[in-house]
Amino acid sequence: DSHIQYERVGADVTMKCGSMDWDAAVTWTANGTDIDESHLNGSYLILKNVDLTQSGQYSCYEGSSWHLKYQTYLRVGTPPKEPVLMCRSNNYPKGFYCSWHLPTPTYIPNSFNISVIHGTREMVCEKDVFPKNRCHIRYLQLFSTVKYKVTLTVTNALGKSSTTLTFDEFTIVKPDPPESVVAKPVPNNPRRLEVSWQNPSSWPDPESFPLKFFLRYRPLILDQWQHVELSDGTSHTITDAYAGKEYIIQVAAKDNDIGTWSDWSVAVHATPWTEEPKHLTTEAQLTETTSASTSSFMPPPTTKICDKGAVVGSGAVAVCWTAGLVLAAYGVLFI
Amino acid sequence: MAAADSSSATLQRRDLCSRGIRLAGKMRSDVVDLLDTYAEQQGLDASASVAAVEGVPAAAVERWDEQTGTQRLLENLAAYRAFRVLLAQMLEEQQEQLGEADAALSRALAAVLLQVSAFAYHLEELLRLESRGPPSEEGARPPQPSHLGLFERKLRGLGVLRELAQWAVRSARDLRQLTKPSLGSSSAPSLAESP
Repeated sequence: DSHIQYERVGADVTMKCGSMDWDAAVTWTANGTDIDESHLNGSYLILKNVDLTQSGQYSCYEGSSWHLKYQTYLRVGTPPKEPVLMCRSNNYPKGFYCSWHLPTPTYIPNSFNISVIHGTREMVCEKDVFPKNRCHIRYLQLFSTVKYKVTLTVTNALGKSSTTLTFDEFTIVKPDPPESVVAKPVPNNPRRLEVSWQNPSSWPDPESFPLKFFLRYRPLILDQWQHVELSDGTSHTITDAYAGKEYIIQVAAKDNDIGTWSDWSVAVHATPWTEEPKHLTTEAQLTETTSASTSSFMPPPTTKICDKGAVVGSGAVAVCWTAGLVLAAYGVLFI
Repeated sequence: MAAADSSSATLQRRDLCSRGIRLAGKMRSDVVDLLDTYAEQQGLDASASVAAVEGVPAAAVERWDEQTGTQRLLENLAAYRAFRVLLAQMLEEQQEQLGEADAALSRALAAVLLQVSAFAYHLEELLRLESRGPPSEEGARPPQPSHLGLFERKLRGLGVLRELAQWAVRSARDLRQLTKPSLGSSSAPSLAESP
């Protein structure tokens, strides 16, 4: 006769050996290991202040015959704390999803029940197969001022807890980040980077529900981001990049009219086009090493002195580098 | 000749739609600001739930994606004509009240009323292009809330503005649906959802 028994952490547990009398001679085992008699009160097994490590299979055998008289699986756990619930529409105007989790584990099985009410109407939130703690719902109405009320109740053998979220149709709209972000240098343009991306594939109708975008970029060596907001189009050319510096670029999306910004997209890296370095003299190489230690970055070379088009031989390159040093020194002053 | 006419009509429609979309965007932004000002002035909680107000056209719609172009235009027009009357009523009530703060609110209300009228005009023009023509303005007007107490009138005003803000969002969406190239004017329903 085997079953499962759930007990709270810290509880005192008394197990009876089935229908055996209190004064019967029995042996208890925990996961196959004999339990010391000191834990017995007659034929009852007493476990005081149980902890998680005491979960396991408990069996009771009749003293002389070793017949199995009772077996139970003890699961030590906790009642659920208030769950964390979040709802979001990343596929507006089709619908929204709600997902939840427990702030701390209970160590025993939990079941979740979710109810969604819109005005007087109760809506069905269909549970997703994966991930488990998620359900989705189709909008029956659009542009409603009536709020949605979502209540999640978590129940286990030791108790229950619930939480409620109330929100407007518009406020939970948050697209997924833009996809396929690509950043490329622009040939013969040392200060440009061409960035392109796509609407998130989860956004069902970008034509009727266009997204706007936020681009941020910075050279790896600096902490401060530059930002550009773009009301249409899925590409942008950065025109003020520092020459030769590797950039990190991200894009976020938002419905044009409602809701909040998406998370940032995966970051992409790109370095603006630079001319292939000509054959450098030893002197020029030395100059390069010196300049790297005196400033954190080189300000973009002015075209007058270092016009790439005008560079012809290695002598001209040496001039460029020297001029660059002077500019770098000025750069240090102005950081 | 017919082809030229239809392409000119298409251009006109597109032009009216894009101007309408911009106007709807501006209107929404102004209404949202007005909502905050109005709620503050009237001592109300801007986020308080207001029950559906009699005579205020609700923006909420089922099967929005299945509506025809003409349905969209007609529903929008009916709504904005109603808002024109409702805002005029609110303005009248506001102007009866004295004080500088209230004067600013009156000006803001008047500005929104103007935009609502302009938008209604856009819709009428679009309906004319559909060779349908806008319906006449006879018919039930929103009831004058003279029997309502002061507080109830304030709440009603909040309901009006809130619903108008929703309409402004809906209208931009409706007009975008109209500009979809495969969408005919009156007969074809909206596109099936994109993959």
